[in-house]
Amino acid sequence: MRTPFVEVRGSALLKAPLRLQGEYRRPDAGTLVREVRAPYAETTTIRAGEVAIARGQRAPRTFSLSRAPELAGLQASFGSLLSGDRALLERHYRIAADGTRQHWVLTLVPKDAQLAKQVRDIVLRGRGAELRCIETRPAKGDLQRTLLAGAARAALDVTDGAALAALCRGE
Amino acid sequence: MSAARNAGRALKASTRLALALLWLAVLLAAGWLVSQRLQLGGDLRHFMPAAETPAQKLLIDELGEGPGSRLLLLAIGGDDAEALARQSQALRATLAGDPRFSVVANGETGLDAFPERLRPYRYLLSPTFDTQRFDAAFLAAQLDARVQDLGSPAAALVEPLIPADPTLETLVLAERWQPANAPQRLHGVWFDRAGRDALLAVQTTAAGFDPQGQQQAIDAIETAFATARVDSAAQLEISGPGAFSVEIGGRTEREARWIGVVDSIGLLLLLLVAYRNWKVPLLGALPLASAGLAGLGAVALLFDGVHGITVAFGFTLIGVAQDYPVHFFSHQRAGVSPWASVRALWPTLATGVVATCIAYLTFFVSGVEGLKQLAVFTIVGLGTAALATRLALPALVDRDLCDPAASPRMERLRTLVARAPRPRWSLLLLAVAALATIAFVPGPFWQNDLAKLTPVPADALARDARLRAELGAPEVRYVLAVQGQDAEAALRASERLQPALSALRAEGAVTGFDLAARYLPSVSTQRERQQRLPEATALRAMLDDAVASSAFRADVFEPFLADVAAARAAAPLQVEDLAGTPLAASVDGLLLQRDGHATALVSLAGLADPAAVATVARDHGALLLDLKQASESLVAEYRERVLWALALAALLLAATVWIALRSPRRAWRVLLPMALSTLLIVAVLRACGIELTLFHLVALILAAGLGLDYALFFEHAGDDRAEQLRTLHAVIVCSLMTLLVFSLLALSSIPVLRAIGSTVALGVVLNFVLGLLVARHPENTRREAADAGA
Repeated sequence: MRTPFVEVRGSALLKAPLRLQGEYRRPDAGTLVREVRAPYAETTTIRAGEVAIARGQRAPRTFSLSRAPELAGLQASFGSLLSGDRALLERHYRIAADGTRQHWVLTLVPKDAQLAKQVRDIVLRGRGAELRCIETRPAKGDLQRTLLAGAARAALDVTDGAALAALCRGE
Repeated sequence: MSAARNAGRALKASTRLALALLWLAVLLAAGWLVSQRLQLGGDLRHFMPAAETPAQKLLIDELGEGPGSRLLLLAIGGDDAEALARQSQALRATLAGDPRFSVVANGETGLDAFPERLRPYRYLLSPTFDTQRFDAAFLAAQLDARVQDLGSPAAALVEPLIPADPTLETLVLAERWQPANAPQRLHGVWFDRAGRDALLAVQTTAAGFDPQGQQQAIDAIETAFATARVDSAAQLEISGPGAFSVEIGGRTEREARWIGVVDSIGLLLLLLVAYRNWKVPLLGALPLASAGLAGLGAVALLFDGVHGITVAFGFTLIGVAQDYPVHFFSHQRAGVSPWASVRALWPTLATGVVATCIAYLTFFVSGVEGLKQLAVFTIVGLGTAALATRLALPALVDRDLCDPAASPRMERLRTLVARAPRPRWSLLLLAVAALATIAFVPGPFWQNDLAKLTPVPADALARDARLRAELGAPEVRYVLAVQGQDAEAALRASERLQPALSALRAEGAVTGFDLAARYLPSVSTQRERQQRLPEATALRAMLDDAVASSAFRADVFEPFLADVAAARAAAPLQVEDLAGTPLAASVDGLLLQRDGHATALVSLAGLADPAAVATVARDHGALLLDLKQASESLVAEYRERVLWALALAALLLAATVWIALRSPRRAWRVLLPMALSTLLIVAVLRACGIELTLFHLVALILAAGLGLDYALFFEHAGDDRAEQLRTLHAVIVCSLMTLLVFSLLALSSIPVLRAIGSTVALGVVLNFVLGLLVARHPENTRREAADAGA
């Protein structure tokens, strides 16, 4: 399984939000790879609760998945959506479903207190079998938006924040 | 007339019993008191001669048993990885708050591992600018990398750090402080390569040679694990020197207890059969118990602490005192006052006791604290037992014990013995054969590795090696040492060693190393690093340039400017400044400070080529210490002193016996069986391929002491038939008792108990047979022969 992504990440430290594009891959059920292709090359591998970020020839920097809760949501939602395993999702989140088959919205609220301290909620948006957008709202700071599949393809030439948000929402 | 007077003084049976029970009660109370007060030291240092070589000095004076000896390696397996990781985290959380542990590591780190207090010092601790110029190009590259960090999944982690620390020096340090060869991390904690077991490394506050401290630590770990596990099927394995000593200690104690119970029942039955009086076992136990307590008390009074080995060896050596009351009982019979019986025996008994005590006096000249303790213990113990037998037992014993001289069975036995030949030249032949065996059997004579006597099971050793390799844990046996007049000098010397160590690691001579300077650089290195930091205006200009061409906003890095300015002005960190931080434990274990002297240690992991490491160490003014070899050389020196003391003791003993018996011929008959037995035991042990240890030596001394007593009593019996029967009876009871106790020890699965047991058991048999053949009076046999001829 592989899908293109476009991500917009804002930070109070930066003059403007970062816009990244690349590809998410699941080489096997236990592994998620996030490969950034532009504006620079970076490969993140998530396996067995550990995250390894590699850039160029340097040794990858590794840290524990529990320290990057937004990724935990990503990993869980990818896995369970792909395998249709709603039970897995429900183990970690309270789920609220909304919308139509062509325009569905799943809102995930973390059950785990530790995770809830860092992530308010995760909103998954899709069309049919396609997961098109993930919005992670941290407890502090800006909303982080990841456009996937068809939405990402549509966003390839879009730089405007509002336009990207609209694409995410499927408007 | 004297018998009549003594009879008049005799106590009633019930009073006698009451007094015996009172004596027992006093002993029990005193024993309880002593056990409450007694601080048993397990520290081998007090039992060893003074250190001479640098390795010995370090071992004895500073290390105890090396920095690796306090490390326990834990593995949790038997559940899925996520569950194991949760248990590992819970276990670490509990143990980290427990004062019994100085370090608890399971791979869980993060920025919380970098103490906030030390943050301004990060540029003094980090080696980044030793090789990298602090310039605009470097800053620009770092800012680019931070932008990418903000676009990465690590963003939430890194974002709060960036304003003060755009080069992420705190992360560089946190990574650097990880163990050199840390295992892989899964779900936030260390796992073995196969991903089956979660791994932890725990350092105890208690020394490795402190069995009680180690036991408490292991109990704490097991309790914490039981809580952490909840209802999982996971299993915890604990390895490391402390875990081994606890396991072996427990096993030894269980076997010793089992043997003790069987011994007690056996001795009770033996004494009941021999004397057909139920009070005899009680009375027979009193002198020995008094001896042990008196010995312990004397050592506790005269020395600072009682050594565990003193107690173990001491109780073995005073075992001979168990024979004193037996001789008395075998001679006590109806119609004779107990005082008269004991008086008749006293010269012989006293000769044995005095000769043995004089022999033990030589331990005093050995100059070793542990041996002096042993001398005090045995001399006081044996003296007490002898005096108790002489002065107290006669008042308490029933007078009408059955007389062995009236037993037809004993008479048949005596006749049998009387027919035995008196060997002469055959003994010489035996001695020559024994000497030849001792001299010509191949293989080392002595075993200096005391650990061989309490061996760790092979599967536990294999598990330990596996965990040690997985965790990159340091060697227990080897350590590098660099000396200096103070901490700073030692740190600088160890820093100079570092490039060579890295080269050794690249060559594969070691897989990893650890030293205090990795956590705390020397003051001079810290000052050099301060020099390399740009001053405030230059840094601001540099930073402004770099920020302008980056995606960062202009005003973000004010905290960074402040931190660098603080680092430039800070007084370099010293060992004392680390107190209360997680670094303190690591540094304290590797940097030993004493008055006017400091030693920096380099612990080594996966040492494949000790010779190469030793050469490199020498070239850099360091020393590769082989702690095992150092402790073995100490054992060898210790044994040499014991042997000299024993040689002197043998001479004194011979002289004492000669003076007491007033005849070289009689002295010869008493001493020959003992000497020959000792020779034969050593020959048998050698022929069986057994390497002798200190424990064999102690067992040999006990066997010799028993032999001396047997021979003295056989000799003392003279040619009187009744006297001979009583003596034969007494010595048979004595030797059977000792044989019972020590053959059970010989059956033990624990080599140290087996060594003592087999040696003494063999000694009892040889001394009994040879004593009977050699020391028995010749006149008697001539008369028997004459009777037979007539």
